[in-house]
Amino acid sequence: MTSTPAFDLPEDEALAAEYVLGTLDLAERSAAESRLRRDPAFAALVNDWQNRLADLNDDYAEAPAPNLLPQIEARLFPQATAKPSRWLAWIGGAVTAAAIGAAAFMMLPPPAPPAPTMTAEMSAEASPLRYTAAIAGDQLTLTRVAGTDAEAGKDYELWIIEGDKAPVSLGVLSQASVTIPAPKAAAGYVLAITLEPKGGGPDGKPTGPIVAAGPLAEI
Amino acid sequence: MMDDPIADLLGKIAAQDRAAFRSIYSNASAKLMGVLLRILGNRAEAEDALQEVFTRVWLRANRYEADKGRGMTWLIALARNHAIDRLRARRETQADDEDAMNAVIDTTPRAENRLIAVGEAKRINQCFDTLEVEKAAALRGAYLTGTSYIDLAAQFDVPLNTMRTWLRRSLLKLKECMEQ
Repeated sequence: MTSTPAFDLPEDEALAAEYVLGTLDLAERSAAESRLRRDPAFAALVNDWQNRLADLNDDYAEAPAPNLLPQIEARLFPQATAKPSRWLAWIGGAVTAAAIGAAAFMMLPPPAPPAPTMTAEMSAEASPLRYTAAIAGDQLTLTRVAGTDAEAGKDYELWIIEGDKAPVSLGVLSQASVTIPAPKAAAGYVLAITLEPKGGGPDGKPTGPIVAAGPLAEI
Repeated sequence: MMDDPIADLLGKIAAQDRAAFRSIYSNASAKLMGVLLRILGNRAEAEDALQEVFTRVWLRANRYEADKGRGMTWLIALARNHAIDRLRARRETQADDEDAMNAVIDTTPRAENRLIAVGEAKRINQCFDTLEVEKAAALRGAYLTGTSYIDLAAQFDVPLNTMRTWLRRSLLKLKECMEQ
């Protein structure tokens, strides 16, 4: 022994190292991830450990990957020919005036719109409808990227679902794209659109088929 | 400053450059597939995860900061984190998985990574040599396969807190060695 090491890493640094090492359980990982987003000092510790252990990445052998680009691009750039720039613009962090201007019952945008923090890609089997949703600050923007209006006498209705709880209506969609006040939401909450009688599901409950749905995920 | 083609591509992707996105897929998908396959141990799930990872590459490229680390390190961290989250979500709903536990001790020969300077690669491996063999293997295996403390403790037949103390001290020794 040529030197006597300090006995233990400081707790924060140990946690950062363990997060990078990958030994934490699900609850501890979630806690570390949410801390990463709001604690720059902790994020810097994680970044240091990421770099420190990066040479271990050499041990990962390359494995042939199929070309999944078509699926990935279809997901990211739905209908590449139809106004992708509008959707991309928010992902880039700036809600453009154009995206907001098209909204039906929009609120006035704040001077510097916040970047979206959560998004959802919504679709359903056997349904041509596709929507993307983004929550930025106190607004939720929903954009239809494929499909058409509901048939005559029907409406699409938007719901948010927390875990096993009952869906909560966020209103009937009067247009292809809407911006509404953001509901209470967290990653994993599901946004769903159902086909309902004109005016929405009676008694505030969904009655029709789900035509598009997807979980919210933090960006 | 060393060349970092992946970092350059990430910069372009942050500016919504789709050609750069295609290019990063062809440059990095095999490596990330290797990461996902190693952690998830199942090709179908790894392919599903690969789609998710590249979706996030597009959505999050603007968070990459070239002065904080190499592009490939950032990509691999994204892939590892996603794979480990999947693994934990899966593992916490089922009993211990014998195969994954047996996979902890890592014996796979190292693949050369042309993106990382040889000098750096030597350094961490030299520092691993300063750890006890068993602890070095546990640390390396944990990193590569995303094994949880619970499974490591079972495999080494020690209490979880003992395992945690072992690895934390090994990490500290590693850090000190690398700083010398």
